[in-house]
Amino acid sequence: MLKIYTDTDTDINPALAAEYGYTLISMPYSVDAKTTYPYVDFETFDGHAFYDMLRGGVLPTTSAISKEQYINYFQEDFKSGNDILYVHFSRAMTNTFDVMDQAIAELKTQYPATRFEEIDTKGITTISYAIVREVGDLVKAGKTLDEVLEWAKTEVDKFAMYFFADDLKFFRRSGRVSGLAATMGTLIGVRPLIHMSQAGKMESIGTVKGRPNAMKALVDKVAELGDEIGKHRICIGHTDAPEIAQEVGRMIEDRFGKQNIEYVYVNPTAGSHCGPNGVGVCFHAIHR
Amino acid sequence: MNLDSELYLNLIRGGAASLAQRRQEINDLNVFPIPDGDTGDNMYMTIEAGTHASGNTLGEMADSVSQGMLLGARGNSGVILSRIFAGMGKAFKGLKQADSKQFNAAMKAAVEEAYHAVSQPVEGTILTVLREGVAAAEGSAGMEEFFDLWIAGMDLSLQHTPDLLDVLKKAGVVDSGGAGLLCIAEGMRDALHGDVLSVMPSEASASPAPKVDFSAFTEDSVLEFGYCTEFLLRLQRSKVDLDTFDESVIHDWLETRGDSLVFFRDGSIVKVHVHTMDPGAVLTKCREWGEFLTIKVENMTLQHHENHMDERFKRTGKALGIVTVASGKGLTATFQEMGADAVIEGGQTMNPSVERFLEAFDNVGAETILVFPNNSNIILTARQAADIYDKSKIVVIPTHTLGEGYYAMANLQTDLPLEEITQTLEEAAKAVTTGSVSKAIRDTAEARTGEFIGFSGKDVLCCCPERPAAVQSLAQKLSAQNSDIIILLQGADAPADEASQLQNDLQNTYKNTEVILIDGGQPVYDYILVLC
Repeated sequence: MLKIYTDTDTDINPALAAEYGYTLISMPYSVDAKTTYPYVDFETFDGHAFYDMLRGGVLPTTSAISKEQYINYFQEDFKSGNDILYVHFSRAMTNTFDVMDQAIAELKTQYPATRFEEIDTKGITTISYAIVREVGDLVKAGKTLDEVLEWAKTEVDKFAMYFFADDLKFFRRSGRVSGLAATMGTLIGVRPLIHMSQAGKMESIGTVKGRPNAMKALVDKVAELGDEIGKHRICIGHTDAPEIAQEVGRMIEDRFGKQNIEYVYVNPTAGSHCGPNGVGVCFHAIHR
Repeated sequence: MNLDSELYLNLIRGGAASLAQRRQEINDLNVFPIPDGDTGDNMYMTIEAGTHASGNTLGEMADSVSQGMLLGARGNSGVILSRIFAGMGKAFKGLKQADSKQFNAAMKAAVEEAYHAVSQPVEGTILTVLREGVAAAEGSAGMEEFFDLWIAGMDLSLQHTPDLLDVLKKAGVVDSGGAGLLCIAEGMRDALHGDVLSVMPSEASASPAPKVDFSAFTEDSVLEFGYCTEFLLRLQRSKVDLDTFDESVIHDWLETRGDSLVFFRDGSIVKVHVHTMDPGAVLTKCREWGEFLTIKVENMTLQHHENHMDERFKRTGKALGIVTVASGKGLTATFQEMGADAVIEGGQTMNPSVERFLEAFDNVGAETILVFPNNSNIILTARQAADIYDKSKIVVIPTHTLGEGYYAMANLQTDLPLEEITQTLEEAAKAVTTGSVSKAIRDTAEARTGEFIGFSGKDVLCCCPERPAAVQSLAQKLSAQNSDIIILLQGADAPADEASQLQNDLQNTYKNTEVILIDGGQPVYDYILVLC
């Protein structure tokens, strides 16, 4: 039997996870030395309250979970001999999966017959959300593990994600965006346009002046790279900027007609690296 | 009559005293009916910095005057004034005294040096007044005649400055820098006749006392920088033999007790500036030679704080540092957040001196330092500081307004070669339009006292009885609809709720533009509109 896993960094909430049968691994963040595990320490994510806290100057940190925690998550299915597929956020953005590798190696010595596979979404938050949902759809439709893995080989790189944030200090501190290191401080009104690269990293591809232009730049990217967008969800993620996200959605529909658009609150762990008032679009593309 | 060291210093002091009496008149020769770069104050502080000079020969004295003014120079007119005396200093180099012919030559050298100080000399300014005055005095038989003709020539030239500069004609004033120079020349002539105004106000009364934040040095602070200790010591006959006393005894002793020593003797007065950890010991020791006329001791940690230094950036060896000029808490914080290593307090009504820049350069200590003067009247001062500073490579980005400085800094990419960085920043600054709204402080053709005028550069664009209406009208005149970002810098006198409402109104008017409100807290300008 195939058991599927994902983590809270992919923006999937428990209700959606249950709908697909995903086991949700909680990725923590800390504020003032207090560590919070999403959907373990709270039931519903109050995005507005969380990002307001960031607006007030709080800079949360994120941390990797321990080997024991991974073992706890996977042990039962290893023991039962189920096939395991973990659709996770980008390996290139974290060292948490090195810890997981140790846990898996240990479990494999104990239960050598169990098959453990991964799909690296090469992204985090909205782009991972889109891929996790597509994988969920495939599993729901009865695709086998190998068929899903085959799909992922070509399709993961066809999910593109472009976004902007208001305040660079979160990215700067997290050090997870390349191309930003050369700019200084907080650039009020001048926003970097960032995308998820093929390598699964955040990469700044230039700056845009003014929010209206930044929003237009996102829509332009959909026009430039979009591929069969009508057949896939367009996911618009935001860090407590629902109105801007919806305006971007309207702009997309004005240009490409009615679409299947989903609006997603960026999870607090990923949001800790982006800061508030950011908006990004994930769409099916010819390439990232 | 020949010009010697003593007479030269007297001329400078006479010039300073004369300007001190009339500097408010010079300040009032504003092109704009708002508090402006106070030319009278700037020129006075500059020449005053030359009055503490010393030297046995004319050459030494003129050099010392030039050095003093160089460090004290404030504002464009101050910088030009300092170059005038630098030119004379160069011409007098090596001379014990100067005859009439040599004096004539020195004045010509002064004109040349002053013109060199500005990259694009504008006629109808202090430069014209100086040049035409010196031309009128050419070939004069003696110094008295020179001064008479020089002053008459400058007076005539000054009256014609509105014919050469439209802004002067519009405002109905003559050029303030030229007027200041004329005032100085008159004082010099009086001094030449032995008639020196005895009262010269101190620097302290010329500029408002800086606000010192005592919280920068708390109960737990550790004295890191020591005390900036300055005093005038009058040597006492009861303690030393004034005729034979060698002041180098004091100098050499002070050198063992501190650094940044500035020391000179003028007659029986010794002027000392020293940074020391133990001012008590310095003062006690110096009383062995005389008694104090004035003493000023300041904790340098507070001075450093006043300079808005960020301790995080005090490390040396940083590749690229940034020094910028701003006034207002909000703007200072904004610039710091953007990466400025030092924010020098200053702006339209308070132009920082060359010395302030040098201090900031020292504190930043980076290999290359980019300087954003953010005011037309501060660019020259920054350039002068850059010219004389040799511990770092200093690059002045000629930002004329706070808006230009802000947007240029936002475009800084530190990983490019320096030439490219400079080019990018200069281009970014040029791409910005800045407009400001201020309250009129006197009646003009365009505005009545108390009304709000909107202007950009030297153009008054609108005038309204209400402040928000003036901002709206200014935005329209500046074609705000064509910009991507409107940054609204809220001044110290603009209430927060009004600013917030104005931001909403502007956002509703200019839907395709992002309107950003920053509590700049700047004086003089109730609002600054930065369009980029």
